[in-house]
Amino acid sequence: MRPIYRVARATFWESWRRRFLNGILVFAILIIGSSWVFTYLQPGAELKMLIDVGLGSIRFFGMLIAVFLGTRLIPDEIEKRTIYTLLSKPVTRTQFLLGKFFGGLTTVISNVLLMGITFYIVFAIKAPQFAQPTEEGPAYSMEFMYANVAKAILLSFFELAVVMGIAVVASVIFSWILAAIFTFFVYFVGQMSEFFGHLADPDTGASPIARYVLGTVYRILPHFEKFDVREAILTDVPVVWKYVGTTIGMGAIYVTIVLALGYLFFSQREV
Amino acid sequence: MADIALAIRTENLTKIYYLGWGRRQVGVRDLSLAVEEGQIYGLVGPNGSGKTTTLKLLLGLIFPTSGGGEVLGEPLGSPRCKQRVGYLPEGPYFYEHLNAPELLRMYGNLFGMSGKHLETRIQELLELVGMWSRRDMRVMNYSRGMRQRVGVAQALINDPDLLFFDEPTAGLDPIGAKDIRGVIVRLRDEGKTIFLCSHLLKEMEPLCDNIAILDRGQKVTQGSVTELLAGEGHQYRVEIRNPDEELLGKLQERSDEIVWVDEICRAVFSERQPAMDAAAMVEDDGGYLLDVGPDRRTLEEVFIEAVGEVSPDATDL
Repeated sequence: MRPIYRVARATFWESWRRRFLNGILVFAILIIGSSWVFTYLQPGAELKMLIDVGLGSIRFFGMLIAVFLGTRLIPDEIEKRTIYTLLSKPVTRTQFLLGKFFGGLTTVISNVLLMGITFYIVFAIKAPQFAQPTEEGPAYSMEFMYANVAKAILLSFFELAVVMGIAVVASVIFSWILAAIFTFFVYFVGQMSEFFGHLADPDTGASPIARYVLGTVYRILPHFEKFDVREAILTDVPVVWKYVGTTIGMGAIYVTIVLALGYLFFSQREV
Repeated sequence: MADIALAIRTENLTKIYYLGWGRRQVGVRDLSLAVEEGQIYGLVGPNGSGKTTTLKLLLGLIFPTSGGGEVLGEPLGSPRCKQRVGYLPEGPYFYEHLNAPELLRMYGNLFGMSGKHLETRIQELLELVGMWSRRDMRVMNYSRGMRQRVGVAQALINDPDLLFFDEPTAGLDPIGAKDIRGVIVRLRDEGKTIFLCSHLLKEMEPLCDNIAILDRGQKVTQGSVTELLAGEGHQYRVEIRNPDEELLGKLQERSDEIVWVDEICRAVFSERQPAMDAAAMVEDDGGYLLDVGPDRRTLEEVFIEAVGEVSPDATDL
């Protein structure tokens, strides 16, 4: 465990020195911090605007940070040759891979935490006004909303853990640019995984081969839309812990499989 | 050989790089090495001859295409052997945000070191490489020489039995290079085995006990420095700087051969006494006597003889 911790720790501090990622974070915090301004753009749908801009920004900018950081972690070590001094020490490739993953993930989590705190503050200031009826519409029931927002941010952590896992492993297999494109592709298609599931349904009338292919795509893709609970927040339906736990568990299994696959490639990779 | 403990043993170690489109490049081919414990073993060769590839193979950073070997009795790249090995890569790079003690602490932790033992070791090593007074500087502010010094320190953190040094004095000023050479000799005197890769022949000659010369991925010659540098048979030489014509004539009469190296005239004798007499004659005649003794080639001469004057950077198949 110690080598994983040491590699992760060094990765974490090195990651915070990447100005490009710091720029994304600052920009994201500015957008999230001013998300209340966007509520004036759509009278009658202020809460939707606030949630969409705030939580949407956390997911989107978090994803950008996870992709650009995850795909650069190992290629940079090889390019800058810092990997030589590490792998010549008693650090196995598995430990190195896990150290890079957890170091990168800690960076992403700390970034999401900053964005999440910013949004929560904005939300806490702005939300009470939605509890009052207005000319445009009735008052929102705020019974579950604060807990739901916190759960949404928690789910974002784990969604980004999956993105980070895919990005790190893709960078072991492809060049970092190709790995970034691949991860973006998986992320966006993964947002529509349920759609593939529906298409694979026998009721759609698709041919057995098409259903098999679509079913396989559905099973392989990470189901990223499950991490998105904005709809539940807007309807003030409680996001139950069982759902949160199941989704996190699904993400953890996906990350484990992806990292195991990454190990298979990285154990053969020459540095 | 059976009784001699070997720190490194390779048999027909071969590495071919596949460059795509059917192109291949030889890294090393059929490399068999036997490095005894407690010696400084030098691997020399021109750029692209396979020195760094050999090091990477021995450390398990890359994998052989065929052949194999052992380091400290363990398979190449095994975690157990890494516990007892130190490595200084060529032009080492480190995490930029750390200072020297933090860097060494990180590497020490990887060996399971911690606490006062590790802190004492860090101070000891930074003093050894002359970096203790600059210990608070971040790596990002280091000069190339400072990186090299810290690189040596990190290679020694675990008090290894076997050290791999790739171009250890590259980028160092003359004093720094002398310091590092001193460290290498001291380590050998402590009983450690040192595997040195360099193309700085003048440095390797006085340092190494044994040397192998690589060219285009293949070992072209190897042996102890004494054997390799020994001249033809049992010859003796007298070296004089710019002798006048009269002195040169006398030397030509008495010696077997006259060889000029820049402004130095080397008279070669087949027996010892005529060489000693010629040296006395040079001094009597007021000539500038540089050296007298058994004829000994320089490593550069051995190298050029083995590799040839033209050395391509790499070899395509």
